[in-house]
Amino acid sequence: MHDTITTLSLVLLTAVSALASVLALRNLVAGATVRQRKTIVSLIGVCALGSLLLFTYRLVVVHREFTPLTAHVDGLLLIAALLSPTIGYLHARSRIANIAAFALPLLTVIFAWGICASAWTLRLFEIHTTWNVLHLASVYLGTVFVGVAGVAGVMFLYAQHRLKRKTDLAHPQKVASLESIEKLIINASVIGFALLTLSIALGVVLITGDERAHSGWWYSWKVALAAVVWVIFALVINVRHSTHFRGVRAAWLAIVGLVLLIVTMVVANMPSGGVDGVHGAGGSVEAARFEEVA
Amino acid sequence: MRVVMIGVSHRTAALELRERLSLSADQVARILDDARSSWPHIEVAALSTCNRTELYVAKPPHEPPTVEDLCTLLARACAIEPQTLLNVLIHREQEQAIAHLFRVCSGLDSMVLGETQIVGQVKRAYESCAERQSVGPVLHRVFQSSLSVAKQVRTATGIDAGRVSVGSAAIDFARQVFETFTDKTVVGVGAGEMAKVTLRHMLELAPQKLYLVNRTPARAHALAESLGLSPAQGGPRPWEALDQLLVEADMLVTSTGSREPIITVERMKPLIRLRRSRPLVFIDIAVPRDVEERVASLRNTYVYDLDDLQAVVARTHEDRRSQVDQAERMIHEAVRNCLSEVQHRDIGQLIKALRARLHALGALEQERTLRKIAAADPQDVPALVQEHTSRLINKILHLPIDALDHRRSEAPLGFYSAALRKLFQLDTGEPPEPPESPESPERPNDGAAAPPAESRDPVSRP
Repeated sequence: MHDTITTLSLVLLTAVSALASVLALRNLVAGATVRQRKTIVSLIGVCALGSLLLFTYRLVVVHREFTPLTAHVDGLLLIAALLSPTIGYLHARSRIANIAAFALPLLTVIFAWGICASAWTLRLFEIHTTWNVLHLASVYLGTVFVGVAGVAGVMFLYAQHRLKRKTDLAHPQKVASLESIEKLIINASVIGFALLTLSIALGVVLITGDERAHSGWWYSWKVALAAVVWVIFALVINVRHSTHFRGVRAAWLAIVGLVLLIVTMVVANMPSGGVDGVHGAGGSVEAARFEEVA
Repeated sequence: MRVVMIGVSHRTAALELRERLSLSADQVARILDDARSSWPHIEVAALSTCNRTELYVAKPPHEPPTVEDLCTLLARACAIEPQTLLNVLIHREQEQAIAHLFRVCSGLDSMVLGETQIVGQVKRAYESCAERQSVGPVLHRVFQSSLSVAKQVRTATGIDAGRVSVGSAAIDFARQVFETFTDKTVVGVGAGEMAKVTLRHMLELAPQKLYLVNRTPARAHALAESLGLSPAQGGPRPWEALDQLLVEADMLVTSTGSREPIITVERMKPLIRLRRSRPLVFIDIAVPRDVEERVASLRNTYVYDLDDLQAVVARTHEDRRSQVDQAERMIHEAVRNCLSEVQHRDIGQLIKALRARLHALGALEQERTLRKIAAADPQDVPALVQEHTSRLINKILHLPIDALDHRRSEAPLGFYSAALRKLFQLDTGEPPEPPESPESPERPNDGAAAPPAESRDPVSRP
C-alpha cells in the first residue's frame, strides 16, 4: 500500500506548511505587513490545493477502486484539505487576526503524521459499506473542527496571557479579542461535536452489527477515549451557560479535547487498536488484513 | 505661476491669537472674494483649523499680491493689526510652500504627530474654495497631490497607527477583551475631567448601558448631562449601588480622588462568583489608584492603570517619530513631482500665449504687406518682403529688448540675458539651426530675410 509519490508529496507539503508556520509566528512576534500576510495566505493555498490533489490522486490512482479513507493517510489528507482553507479564511478575517500562527503548526503536524502514516501504515480500515465511509468521514471532518477549536483554545491562552502580563501593550491588535476567540472555540466545537456524535452513533451501529466484534468492545480504549472527547465538547458548547467553564477553562477543555481526539486516532490506528482488538482474543480482523496486504 | 503660502500655526502663534485668526465659512468666503476682486489673475485657497490658519496663493512671479498684501487681507478679515500677524507669520514659496501643505496634510506638522483629522479638514477647505472657483489649475494640482501624498505616507509608514490619547488607548484595551459593545455595560466611577474624556471615548463604542457613580450624586448627574446620556442609556446611580454595578459591569472606568483603593480583592472576591466568569476590564485612571493591584490576579479580571495607558501613548509617539524620516523623503519626492507638473503646465500655457501673440503680430504685418504688394510693381516685391521681415522681427524683439533696458532698475537683467543666451543659443557664435516647419517647408525668402549674424545678437553686443 506504500506509495512513494504520496510520501514525497507529503514531505513537500510538510516543508511548505512549516515555512508558513515560521512566517506566521514571526509575524505574530514582529508584526506583519500586507505583503507578508499575502505570502502566508498563498502558502496556505498551496497546502490546501496540494492536499486536495493528493487525496484525489490516491483515490483514483492508488486505490484503483472507490474506497476512500481505507488508509489513515487518506483521512489525514482529508483533514489537511479542509483545515487549510479554514485557516486561510480565518486568517484573512481581521477579527481572528494571526490565527495562522497557531493553526499552521497543527497543519504541519498533520502533514508530518501523514508521512508516517504513508510510509508505515500499521492498519488498514475495512470499508464494507457506505456506513463505514460515513463513520470515518464524520470522524475526520469532526477532527477538523475540533482542531480549529483546540487551536483557538491555544490562541485564547496566549491572548489572555498577554493581557494579564501586559506585554506589548502598544500593539493590541496582534491577536483577536478574547470574546472573538471564545466565540470561535464554541462555534467550532458545536460543529465538531455534532460530527463526532454522528461518528460515534455510526460506530456503535456498525460494531453492534458486526458478528466478529468482541462482546467487550464498549470498554475498549478507542471507545472510552471517544466518549471522553464527546463529553468534553458537550461541556465546551455549553460554556456560555456555565458559571465555571468560561474563558480559560473553555480554552483548556478545547485543547484537552483535541489532544484526546488525536490520542484516540493514534490508538484506533494501532494494529490492535480497533474495537475488535481490545483483548487480542482471536486477533484483530483489521490487523489480519493488514498482514495479508503487507 | 508661483505658489505662496502665508499663515500661522500652533508652532508660531499662541492659542489666543489662533482663536482670533480662526476663520468661519463666511470669513473664508469674504477673503476669497476680496482676493479675487483685487487680483483677478491669482488662485487662492484658505485653510483654517484649530491649529492653523493659512492662505495658499498661486500668482504670476514678480506680480502682486505681495506677502504684505496677503497679510493685510487676512488681518483685515480677522479684525486684527497686520503687524500682530506679521510677528508670527509663516511665509513659504514654491517648493517650500508645497512641501508645507504636504507636511500639514500628512500630519507631520500637527500638534499630535500623524493625526488623521487634518486630511478631512484640508479636503473640506479645498472643496469649499473649489466651489467658489477661487482655485485654478495650479492649486487644484497642489491640493490634490497633497491629499494623495497624505494617503501614501500613511499607508507606507503607518504614521497614524496607534493611540495618542489616554482615552483612545483605553478603548484599545477594551477591544482586546470584547468583540462587540452593544451588549456591554460600562460603569464610570468618579466624575473628574479625565473620567469625562475617557467615558466620551467609551460612548463611541455604543455600549448598551453606561452608569455613573459618584460619592456626590450631583456631580454624577452633571457628568451624565455633559455626556448627553439619556435615561435609556443608563445615567447616574447611587454610590451604594457600586457592588451591584461591579456584578453587572463589563468595563469600569475609575477616577476618584480617594486616597485608598475603593475596589479591593476582598470586595471583588464574592462578586466574581456572581459575575458567572464574565470578563471585567478595569480602566483605572486615578492617582492614587482606585483598584487594588491584586485585583488583577483574580480570574477574568483585567486591570489597566494610568501608567499602562501612558506607556501606550508614549510608545505610539515614539513609533510615529521613527516614521518621520521616511515620510519626509516621500514628501520631498512628491513635492518635486508636483512642482515639475505645475511648471510644465505653466510652460505649456506660456508657449501657447507666445505663439498666439506672434501669430497675431505676423497676421497684422502680413495683411499690411499684402495690401502694399497688391498696389506695387512686381519688381518692388522683394523689397517689400524684406521690409515685412524686418518689421516683423523688430516687432517681435521690441518687448524683450525693451525689458532689457538697463534704465529699468527693477528688471533682472542678468537673469534675462542668461535666459536669452540659453534660449537662442547665442553663446556659440554660430547661427542657430532654423526650426523645421511642417506647415511651410519651403517658405520663399527665408534665407534672404535672415539678418546678418551680428545683427541677431542684440543682447550680447557690447
